[in-house]
Amino acid sequence: MTPFLLLLPAILTMLFVVALPLIFSFYTSMTSYRLTRPETIEDFIWFRNYIRLFENPDFWRAFLRTIVFLAIALNAELLLGLGIALLINKITWGQRTLRTIMMFPMMFSPILVGFQFKFIFNDNIGILNNALQSLGLTTQAIPWLVDAKLAMFSIIFAEVWMSTSVFAILLLAGLFAMPRDPIEAAKVDGCNSWQVFRHITLPFLMPFVFIAMTIRSLDVARAYDIVAIMTGGGPAGRTELLWTMIARVGYDNARMGQANAMAYLSTILSIAFTYYFYTKLVAARRYMGGAE
Amino acid sequence: MKTSLKRLLACAAMPALLAGSAFAQDYGNFDGYTLRVKLIGGAQYEPLYATISEWEAATGATVQILSRKNHFELDREIKQDIAAGTLNWCVGSNHTSFAPQYGNIYADLNDLIAPETLAGFTPLLLEHSTVDGRLVQLPRHSDVSNLFYIKSLYEDAENQAAFAAEYGYDLAPPETWDQVRDQALFFANPPDFFGTQFVGKDEAITGRFYERLVSNGGAMFDEDWNPTFNSPEGVAALQWFVDLYNAGAVPVGVPNYLWDDTGLGFASGTVALNLDWGGWSAFFNDAENSSVAGNVGVVRAPKGDAGLRTGWSGSHSFSITTTCDNPEAAASFITFLTDHDRQMIEARMGILPTRTAVWDDALAEFAAAGDDFMVEVFSTFRTSMAEDAFTPPLIAEWIEVSNALWPRLQAAMVGDMTAQQALDAAARDAREIMEDAGHL
Amino acid sequence: MSTIAERAAIRRRIQAVGLWLATFLLMVIMCLPGLWVVLAAFRPNREILAKPPIWVPQQLTLNNFAKIFGFGSDQVGIPVLAYFTNSMVIAMTSTVIALVIGVGGGYAFARFRFRFKNGLFLGLMLFRAVPGIALSLPIFMLWSRIGLIDAQLGLIIVYVSLNVPFTIWLIDGFFRQIPISLSEAAQVDGCTRWQAFWKIEFPLARSGIAAAGVFAFLTSWNEFALASQLTRTTDSKTLPVGLMDFTAQFTIDWAGMCAMAVIIIVPALILTFLVQKHLISGLTFGGVKG
Repeated sequence: MTPFLLLLPAILTMLFVVALPLIFSFYTSMTSYRLTRPETIEDFIWFRNYIRLFENPDFWRAFLRTIVFLAIALNAELLLGLGIALLINKITWGQRTLRTIMMFPMMFSPILVGFQFKFIFNDNIGILNNALQSLGLTTQAIPWLVDAKLAMFSIIFAEVWMSTSVFAILLLAGLFAMPRDPIEAAKVDGCNSWQVFRHITLPFLMPFVFIAMTIRSLDVARAYDIVAIMTGGGPAGRTELLWTMIARVGYDNARMGQANAMAYLSTILSIAFTYYFYTKLVAARRYMGGAE
Repeated sequence: MKTSLKRLLACAAMPALLAGSAFAQDYGNFDGYTLRVKLIGGAQYEPLYATISEWEAATGATVQILSRKNHFELDREIKQDIAAGTLNWCVGSNHTSFAPQYGNIYADLNDLIAPETLAGFTPLLLEHSTVDGRLVQLPRHSDVSNLFYIKSLYEDAENQAAFAAEYGYDLAPPETWDQVRDQALFFANPPDFFGTQFVGKDEAITGRFYERLVSNGGAMFDEDWNPTFNSPEGVAALQWFVDLYNAGAVPVGVPNYLWDDTGLGFASGTVALNLDWGGWSAFFNDAENSSVAGNVGVVRAPKGDAGLRTGWSGSHSFSITTTCDNPEAAASFITFLTDHDRQMIEARMGILPTRTAVWDDALAEFAAAGDDFMVEVFSTFRTSMAEDAFTPPLIAEWIEVSNALWPRLQAAMVGDMTAQQALDAAARDAREIMEDAGHL
Repeated sequence: MSTIAERAAIRRRIQAVGLWLATFLLMVIMCLPGLWVVLAAFRPNREILAKPPIWVPQQLTLNNFAKIFGFGSDQVGIPVLAYFTNSMVIAMTSTVIALVIGVGGGYAFARFRFRFKNGLFLGLMLFRAVPGIALSLPIFMLWSRIGLIDAQLGLIIVYVSLNVPFTIWLIDGFFRQIPISLSEAAQVDGCTRWQAFWKIEFPLARSGIAAAGVFAFLTSWNEFALASQLTRTTDSKTLPVGLMDFTAQFTIDWAGMCAMAVIIIVPALILTFLVQKHLISGLTFGGVKG
């Protein structure tokens, strides 16, 4: 019984804060519930909200865009984070200072990151365009937040800026845990540093990579704050992600039933991401001969 | 005892009040009552709230401000309150465009506020504040847009000669939207200088499109609530935005612009013509904030193809909930916040009043102070409030229709669709919304 | 005079300094967007928004901070102090509670065998993955029924649940690192299991707990989406929600917002620096060997 007693508070909070609201929102996703007409919560319409969603191309575009956004952002964060971790790992003196500097972006609230990059990417008075123009690299005002490709790039850039540190710190921890002997041995055997990295460091780091991926996938939806501030999903829906769509339909249009149906599908998407990385993690650990 | 102490403190803090010794009106006595309110926040709205303590002193009541946020945030919060049944407050800030969404949560002020008080307000604005025959809000201040321009550009002899040679008529502040297009193209020199600009997202672009639609002789809906904004008038209206955008006469980022971007853009001196709200005028002419201070002119909003001027208008207002436990106190409070002296405070900052008398008095005050710019602003805006102003359709679905429309307007602007395709697609979505709501 | 060995040592040192400088430079470039915000906090709006841009600050001032606190201006200040207190109380309390719950849960996963163990562990993680936007309205409805809207407690409960899963994960891994024999030896020596935990295992797990604490604190300190729905007034509004005070209907006060940003960042930075030493080792042992 002891383990369950110890786990009881954790289970209770999760049930209370997550499971209970999810049950409620599942129910409302099958009603025509409008925020401004409380009585509509009793208007049960089965799966009509879901059927409408399946027929709505805008929703599917946002759904796919969200997947692409996550895939690009997470991979970029991983690669950059890995590079930074490897670099800092080489530093012997003054490392603590560098580590703190490295974590600087983690101090920024997502909403602040949104405002910051909205301003940086502003076409007219933003510092990025001003810098490019001052350096003579362009005479144009580049429409960072408007052009179809650049707008996606800009929001991904902001997200990557905010979260790369998380990867770097987790991977750095992995490098610290790494035994020195195999590397020394490989060097004695004449391996160059690329070979050492490819055949020794990287396989050892893989579980850490999946840990980092899993941990990050837990709160990817944090990017909602950034996108909502920077572009609000526009222009012309070019940066519309599931989360901005849910917020607009649910609150501005007050169609909570429909919004909750979308929210349910986005929940499934998030859970799938986490589950995928978690199974990868378990497999990598087994491969490494870890526990379980 | 408590009241007299409060009054004493208030008087000590504000000796100026003593001169009048009491208000022109009796605000009643609500000793010990706590009035719970939700107000719109933001720099230009705060000075009015600084006077709330005067009402507290006069009535013995206490005001508890539960929320103070911008309107979009406040809108969310009020919708949540409706959903959760937590309308346990009395007075809320409101807006003519938002009000129809809230159903019957707000009381009919015709029952709560004396007819002689209401008589002081501009009749048209009270009409705009009425939803389904109920006066659900008392207008606090109103707004409409007129055309600001940089004077020196029009006084420059070289510009005048070059413009006349190219376009065949004299360079003067524009009378029609076609002239705005000519002049914007003439002045534009991207990326350093722009002919004009517009807001490009959310309800803001919907409103700008809507007023152009009306000025061209079109309408959002016909009498039976069928969407009709994809008419030739609508296409022409949208095409105007598309053309200026494609020609580079406006900043390339406008599809992501809101009011702050356009306001700051004009103040930065990089835009020749700027259709904007009256509330900005003092800012534009303030050397602390604006590099065009002293060089700003304003003319009435130009005319569209049908010879009508654009005049999308809305009023910020106060409403009283039907669940309020002391409607008399709430009515006294909002009467106080919209009375003559309170509106003068806001008018001095360039915010447009809703009481007829305040227009006269503010204009007289500006003239006496020799503030020619503010006299020009107030005379211009007074005319357009009286003759050009109109609201969006006052239906609950307005914001939802707007959310269906504006991404399509953007799509036409950035070239994903033609103007006709974009409006047809939006009209289909709008029809669905109107069907769902039971209008069709 | 110098020998070859000495010269090699010098070369190594130069290389090390060069590497450090290069890395430092890279880090600074990475931080530039954030540093720009910090710099803007000390500059007037007119200068930040100027076009053509003013690259070298001509005027550094504390006015933006003074304005926030309402000194020397006719405007009503922003209740930063209340926001700051709320943020501190909420972030600290929720972190401590999450750690207590997390230590219990992590210990249970590390030291006991029981049914549904793996399923339960995965379940906790998956619950955490539910997007905040999907939860915001249902939580709001629920909280309004039980009076937790605009209350510090309401946010604390939410943040505890945001942080418990990751805390459990880290601490579970950490306890596994500590040989079970230590605790068994102590019990042989007459300690109860509780005493053994408290005297032997808990102190060893300190850096794991510290690392989990930093992450939990940062999450609660910076959270916006849920806080903006669940708070209303100075009774519970936190600093990130307070940032929205700088956006009015028509304007955004950039300088003021940047000053506020500095107020938000500095405490988080100090805390992170203080816990730096434990952070890496905590993550190292907490993660992989689990």
